[in-house]
Amino acid sequence: MTSPDMVICRCEEVGLGKLLQTAAAHGCSARELKLRTRAGMGTCGGRSCRSLILAMLEESASQAPGHDMPLGCQPPVRPVSFSMLGGTE
Amino acid sequence: MTDVLIVGAGPAGLSAALACREQGLSVRVVDEFYRPGGRLLGQLHEEPDGQWWNGLEEAAKLHDKALQAGVDIRCGVSVYNVAKADGNWQAFTTEGVCEVPALLLATGASETAVPVPGWTLPGVMSIGAAQVMTNVQRVRPGERGVVIGINVLSVAIARELQLAGIHVDRMVLPALSPVTSSAGHPEKVMESMLRVAHLAPSPLIRLGSRLVQSLGLQKRGIRFYPSGGIRMWGIPFQLRTAALEIVGTGQVEGVRIARISPEGVPVPGSEKIIPADFVCIAGGLSPLAELAAVAGCAFAYLPSLGGHVPLHNERMQTSLPGLYVAGNITGIESAKVAIAQGTVAGLSIAADLGKLREPEPLRHAMERVCLVRQQAAIQFHPDIALGRERLHQMYEQAQAM
Repeated sequence: MTSPDMVICRCEEVGLGKLLQTAAAHGCSARELKLRTRAGMGTCGGRSCRSLILAMLEESASQAPGHDMPLGCQPPVRPVSFSMLGGTE
Repeated sequence: MTDVLIVGAGPAGLSAALACREQGLSVRVVDEFYRPGGRLLGQLHEEPDGQWWNGLEEAAKLHDKALQAGVDIRCGVSVYNVAKADGNWQAFTTEGVCEVPALLLATGASETAVPVPGWTLPGVMSIGAAQVMTNVQRVRPGERGVVIGINVLSVAIARELQLAGIHVDRMVLPALSPVTSSAGHPEKVMESMLRVAHLAPSPLIRLGSRLVQSLGLQKRGIRFYPSGGIRMWGIPFQLRTAALEIVGTGQVEGVRIARISPEGVPVPGSEKIIPADFVCIAGGLSPLAELAAVAGCAFAYLPSLGGHVPLHNERMQTSLPGLYVAGNITGIESAKVAIAQGTVAGLSIAADLGKLREPEPLRHAMERVCLVRQQAAIQFHPDIALGRERLHQMYEQAQAM
């Protein structure tokens, strides 16, 4: 009872089917799955889908999350304008 | 010159700010929301002793005290990066860079989504969003709502919506899928609800004991669970019904539901569409620790605390000097625990900056956290104390290395 079209990563519009397929085809870690599909790489920085991707890997590939923060966080962790990051010209 | 920057003006951040001020430190608190209070703002529930906990009032009290003490509180300010520079911490905020010897992350928790086909339709919101709309902004999220996901948080908020006169048609489980796992499994949901029922506010106790009394053992209980659900405050709790899809063109118009087996498998022929103009999805809370990750903190994965939490000790020190944590970022617990933890963090910072003359207040504050935890009306997970113990052990091991 899986809906392949159901969106998991809303920012990058990655569906459940694509994630399951990619994970099965390549035996992906969470990080590799992110790099292959872009799930978790959108404007929210994975705040919405990070836990869903981890749950999916645990359920479908028996990969329990480790102690290290998976799908590492990169700054800026909140959406900000380019001007705020520096450079006035 | 600011001694301490606190990220988050919720129960933990504000109480920490107060504790710091009382020891003579200069404190700035920033929060992304336009008013202080954090998760307190939406809370309204009855405690087991019959007293009502009004989060808005609690937030106002803390805010007033902090202002009177001379805390610099700035709302509508986000922190998007933190870095270490010359022994200080730099916080990159939307109001510029703030450099301080001590940085406290009291960023709280974020909600976990429950993906169900159609969950991206307008009119679908997290249960916490419905809580903020209703109790903070005083806006009705809709006329007829369905809650998908039955857990401690969603039960408490459904009651709040109902108190505000908003019609909650029913609470159901999400359809079983690789991303919803145990939240779509009636037996597991019932088990987790019963494990917390003895500590929860009185109506929950009644629900818990009613389930046990009228249905006998849990496993048998869920087999004979009435198809219309069990009503609490007039809201049907349908543990044997799943939302298969949220339907509508352009916005939510209804939910396609089906009866499910005790294992969560839909019963053929039982599908129907029920009308709704808003849907709340509720997957619980997890610690919001992005800034701790960016800072380079060590982490621990402890499901009993809500997921990945920054390693820290009972003094709220992280693995990085000058960086502290308090509140839900350290694990999902009630606001009262967060307030107690905030006091510890504030005193701990004062001690590390050489401003705490006696060690007694800090020791008392640490004891108080344990006491408040034991007495908490709402426990989000039955194994919180064990999770905390494991966390502190891991911290000690990491420090010893």
